[in-house]
Amino acid sequence: MSLMDALPTPRLRWEGRRPNGVLLSLSVVMLAAFWSLDAVSVAPNRIVAGTGYGALEAFGWPGVLLATLLLSAIGLFAWQPSTQHYRALLASLMALMALMPVGLIASSYLLIDPDLPQARLGLGAAYWVILFLLLLCLIEIRLRLKLSRLWPTLLLTAVALIWWLCAALWLDSLALVQEFRARDAQFVRAVGQHITLVSIAVSISVVVGMLLAMLMRRYSRLQKGAFALLNFLQTIPSLALFGLLLGPLAWLAAKVPFLAQLGVSGIGTAPALIALIAYSLLPMVRNTYIALEEVSPATLDAAKGMGMRSGQRFWQVRLPLALPVLLEGVRITTVQAIGLTAVAALIGAGGLGTFIFQGLGQAAMDMVLLGALPILMLALVVDAGLGALAEALRPGGIQ
Amino acid sequence: MIELAHVSKRFGNETAVDDMSLHVPKGKFCALVGTSGCGKSTTLRMINRLIEHSEGDIILDGQAIKEYDPVKLRRRIGYVIQHTGLFPHWSVVRNIGLVPRLLKWPAAEVQARVEELMNLLGLSVGEFGHKYPHQLSGGQAQRVGVARALAADPDILLMDEPFGALDPITREKLQDELARLQAKMHKTVVFVTHDMDEALKLADHLVVMRAGRIVQQGSPLALLQHPVDPFVESLLGGLERGLKQASLTRVKDHMTSMGQMLPAQSRIPADFSLRQALSMMLRDHCDRLTVVDQHDVPIGELSLRRIIKEAQLDKGSA
Amino acid sequence: MSNSLSAAPSRKQAPLWLWPLLWGALLLISVVAMAAAEPLFRWIEPDARQVIYARADFYVLLGRHLLVVGVAAVVTIVVGVLAGVLVTRQRGRDFLPLVGQLASLGQTFPPVAVLALAVPALGFGTLPIIVALVLYGLLPIVRNTLTGLQGVDSDIKTAAHAMGMTPIQILRQVELPLAAPVILAGVRTSVTINIATAALGATVGASNLGDPIIAGIVNGNMAYVVQGALTIALLALSVDSLFEILQRQLRSRLSS
Repeated sequence: MSLMDALPTPRLRWEGRRPNGVLLSLSVVMLAAFWSLDAVSVAPNRIVAGTGYGALEAFGWPGVLLATLLLSAIGLFAWQPSTQHYRALLASLMALMALMPVGLIASSYLLIDPDLPQARLGLGAAYWVILFLLLLCLIEIRLRLKLSRLWPTLLLTAVALIWWLCAALWLDSLALVQEFRARDAQFVRAVGQHITLVSIAVSISVVVGMLLAMLMRRYSRLQKGAFALLNFLQTIPSLALFGLLLGPLAWLAAKVPFLAQLGVSGIGTAPALIALIAYSLLPMVRNTYIALEEVSPATLDAAKGMGMRSGQRFWQVRLPLALPVLLEGVRITTVQAIGLTAVAALIGAGGLGTFIFQGLGQAAMDMVLLGALPILMLALVVDAGLGALAEALRPGGIQ
Repeated sequence: MIELAHVSKRFGNETAVDDMSLHVPKGKFCALVGTSGCGKSTTLRMINRLIEHSEGDIILDGQAIKEYDPVKLRRRIGYVIQHTGLFPHWSVVRNIGLVPRLLKWPAAEVQARVEELMNLLGLSVGEFGHKYPHQLSGGQAQRVGVARALAADPDILLMDEPFGALDPITREKLQDELARLQAKMHKTVVFVTHDMDEALKLADHLVVMRAGRIVQQGSPLALLQHPVDPFVESLLGGLERGLKQASLTRVKDHMTSMGQMLPAQSRIPADFSLRQALSMMLRDHCDRLTVVDQHDVPIGELSLRRIIKEAQLDKGSA
Repeated sequence: MSNSLSAAPSRKQAPLWLWPLLWGALLLISVVAMAAAEPLFRWIEPDARQVIYARADFYVLLGRHLLVVGVAAVVTIVVGVLAGVLVTRQRGRDFLPLVGQLASLGQTFPPVAVLALAVPALGFGTLPIIVALVLYGLLPIVRNTLTGLQGVDSDIKTAAHAMGMTPIQILRQVELPLAAPVILAGVRTSVTINIATAALGATVGASNLGDPIIAGIVNGNMAYVVQGALTIALLALSVDSLFEILQRQLRSRLSS
């Protein structure tokens, strides 16, 4: 037993020679998706559903050959994985992601009739599937190369820049771009609103949550009741909580002019913020409480034995040790708030959710994407960023 | 009978067990001793194929273990580990009856066997039968562990530091019981431990390992008398080696018939160990003891001077 | 210990079943007799033409809600537990790190975004909300299955192996029963969250208990919102308290 544990390095080296089944199967699935699913779709205007085109029609022979080559390269490198091969894999992955918008440019030249300014190009199933699987490959390679979370985030940012560039300069016919062009000022404002709402809600709930957690540690009777209440709040659908705050706040605004001057009203930011904070409190309080509680009693005992006062013990021992778990709470809270803020659009709070619900209302799927994709990206970026921060704050990198 | 012939085990480039040859005759108790990481547990786990060996042959009852179906092989071999590995969601009775049930014994037979084993190990069926492992003390849990290993009456018993996690008093009690059981059942036992006293006390055959190789093997007494190198000597307790050797020798092997001198005041039973006799001499400030039989009748005497002289003779002849 | 064991059931059982019965009864009452509370809702919305949501009966909405959540739950449990089991086997071990990462990463996908992405692919109606619920609910189950299976003491697995149990016997008789409480906790989280999330289905044309809420927000009728929210909360509480009982019984079997 002890021996097996004592020999991690040779086992890894031995494992290194076996094919990486994950990347191998991902590569096969991607090839299958590339050849069998629609690469792009072309629609004559905004509402009509588009017709799908396969890879061959969309990219022509050279494009198909290049993509097939790169996709098979992933499988080939995965057959005999080593550090160099993983690096090569990373490179071909990046190449593929960077080439994807180029492929779109090609297909817009091949498929879009220049006489139809209304015609738009949509991403087909193959694009989505391959994009998703490439992200999985990236995660797998990151784990195998033991890179920190920051790396893939940086690489993806570079890829996103390339996409942005292509979209801005050459992809006028892409449906998403057209949707964006139609309301770019609105889009920027929505992103701003979204981020503002999330940041305000999270910062308030971080402060309130930590205070609550500390109060709970002091008064144990409070603990049960508070957790019960917070748990109950989570069972109410976010949709309903937003709705429920409409009435009382409208009433308050009508009765107390001072509040109305502050911007409190039945619809809009005020109920959204209150509901967001109410939802954010549970993960925040729970993680803070657990973080502070699970610091090893032996360590605290030692600190006490060394003659540290209770304040010193808290600030110098308990809090630093609890910080990574605490940050984990902030991460969960923020990511959750980003999603919930989208729902808040229903009560007129603005944000990216507006596009989702407007798009759903008009059956304009590209507009839905215009709202959903940035939300997804925002959540992933925040998740990676705060995750990396928590990793960095672990003293000595203790796992 | 267990036979290891030039067995090696490699994990990648690391050699855990290196060209090991060992013969454990039927009914004998073999102890593998060494510091942690010396390959003794790996050796044990190769015998029931929890780990597959890389080279050489392991032969059980004349047949290489690679020819057995591993699952059937394991059902024929009892296995006891340090932290018992009892299933926490099963009662004691169900835990002990595991292998017989795997072998599809009729329920009544399983029940009878479980009760027999519990009685054998001093666990009252009424009191412990329906308890769960976490309700047992360490010693009780390990008794259940031993009972589970013995349930299907295997010829071979593998024990991996079974008493390592117990307090000294419980450990000694369980060692005594294991010795008693072994005297009755004559299983072929391979026992891994880093506690030399435990090995000396229980084993017929002692194997000292270091860095995956056998440094020395032989009977406990042979090792005590002639350790091949300082490592074995230090494992055997260095300066205390004499006392350990004494604890393996019975008083009756060194006693002489009653001399002309007055019988000594202190009396010692003939089947006590020499170590206990020496201790008694120190306690009572004397160099002679009267040896008595089980009815307290004097049958001879033990003299310190004679013991030392015999030891000198032994050394001279060797 | 054994003493308290024999005495416990009769004393503890009563309050144990109390909560699910209470919540269940309240849910039933609210679904069948919402109209009886008209004066109350009239007080909330004195000016509205109508204060009881009447476009569909509440029990029909409840049924549809349960159907969506139930189908999603069955799919998530089967797929999630299976995935968790497969990647912890020798053959699937290659996939373990990736699936583990996905399980934590998946939580970052907001359900609204998932729903919004499912609609273009699947069209309006019940299917996209089921897909969104499955994707969103899968992750707590996979994560807890992994935690549960990996949490089984390696000594116990070694012992089971060494006693000559086959891998399937070890999985069924040792690993799954020991991991069951953790897996169940994951199922509980997943289902409870999904009951609330399913309400979003109303925005993509799936009719369920989210309908009154959306109608209330659109028409500015607080009473509708309260009715929808109340029913969903009661449903969530009933289901959650049922899980509590299940969990307690599992736990007591493991550590009584």
